[in-house]
Amino acid sequence: MEYQRDNCGNCGACVAVCPQQILKLNENQVTKDPGCDECGNCTIVCPLGAFTWKVGHEV
Amino acid sequence: MKYDVVVVGGRIGGSIASLYASKDDADVLMIEKRQEIGTPVQCAEGTTQSIFKILDMKPDKRYINAEIDGATIHAPDGRAIDLAEVSCENFLDGTGYKGYILDRKVFDKHLAIQAAKAGAEIMMKTTVKDLIRKDGRVCGVVAEHLGETMEIKADVVIAADGVESNMARQAGLTNPNKPGNIGSCAQYELFGLDIDPHQLNFYFGREIAPGGYLWMFPKGEDTVNVGLGVRSTKKTAYQYLNQFISRFKGTTPVELNIGGVPLSGPIDKTYTDGLLVVGDAAGHVDPVTGGGIHIAAFCGKTAGQVAAEAVKKENTSESVLKRYDEIWREKFGKNLEISLKYRNAADKLTDKDMNALAEFLEKNKIENLSKISAIKFLGKHPHLLMLIRDLL
Repeated sequence: MEYQRDNCGNCGACVAVCPQQILKLNENQVTKDPGCDECGNCTIVCPLGAFTWKVGHEV
Repeated sequence: MKYDVVVVGGRIGGSIASLYASKDDADVLMIEKRQEIGTPVQCAEGTTQSIFKILDMKPDKRYINAEIDGATIHAPDGRAIDLAEVSCENFLDGTGYKGYILDRKVFDKHLAIQAAKAGAEIMMKTTVKDLIRKDGRVCGVVAEHLGETMEIKADVVIAADGVESNMARQAGLTNPNKPGNIGSCAQYELFGLDIDPHQLNFYFGREIAPGGYLWMFPKGEDTVNVGLGVRSTKKTAYQYLNQFISRFKGTTPVELNIGGVPLSGPIDKTYTDGLLVVGDAAGHVDPVTGGGIHIAAFCGKTAGQVAAEAVKKENTSESVLKRYDEIWREKFGKNLEISLKYRNAADKLTDKDMNALAEFLEKNKIENLSKISAIKFLGKHPHLLMLIRDLL
């Protein structure tokens, strides 16, 4: 998943739905540890669309 | 560093837990990851009078932006229903229609100051990275402040760390949420919208807020919180919000808030050896309304009191901390369960169903609502009849 910090409102909705538990909400941004399984949950819940599928991905 | 009680999170649940644990003589540290308590706001700020009863506190103009005496529901077809005419109970907690729109930035900080007055210490801009465990029990947290990592020992840790709670998960009490159980919310504080400053407004419909609803909560004379929650949508909450407010000419936002709300009801277990979970982190949110201020307040108070008592008894194991779970479930457990059932039924309502319900309610005000009229209505709408059968 692509994460755009400029579009992030630091709300933590993505952290709540990450099955790999690799997302962390820090004070000003979300950090992502390795191990993403590209499930797309973060793209569904983000109120501002900070997470998007990588270019070329077919939904 | 060692404290009796470490509270992680400094919003409503966290500050109130800190306040009540401190009042009962516990040595308390509250940790907040942000730079300021109360910001950014992630709340529509509406609550009922019950929170002040729970806190034994008098409502104060400093943190109340508006007093509310009613609500209007807007069906997808535009039909407006005055809630007072179709229901006798408050939709939040059955204490009548009176409620408040809080100024959360002021209110949250006020609560933190009350906790400090009672003796709690507060650390700002400090993030909890991990739980410290010994022999399977929680006995503190690893925290980071300006690049410095520190171990903070505690007899009881209270996790009030919000929807993004890692602590409840690290303790094995929760699993990650399914996306459909998180309300994805966006809200403007909007200037220039002319609505009754004492009335709430709710809008429903698949085009407006699929899987949720839109709210308009007046914040005094000048501004209104206009926000919505949606679930499992292709478009973002922010896009739905902009789409809705484009109809209001001459308005402009002065604040944008976003957030995720857990809507699947409380987690199965809110305690373990040395740990209690409070507020959004515990799913202490009404699955229908998405409201949780009064629940977090009650649970925060109870958690603080139970933690302080356990410290006094020198026994902070599950067997003592369990009392917290029992007390809050007795007060809110049944309501939250019913609410989740209603939400599941409401998920199946089409716009057509909602319009039909609104039309029925408009024609049959509460005083002349009869069994016969209800049966006739359901006879005409078999889909609604099926949903009601699921609820019973």
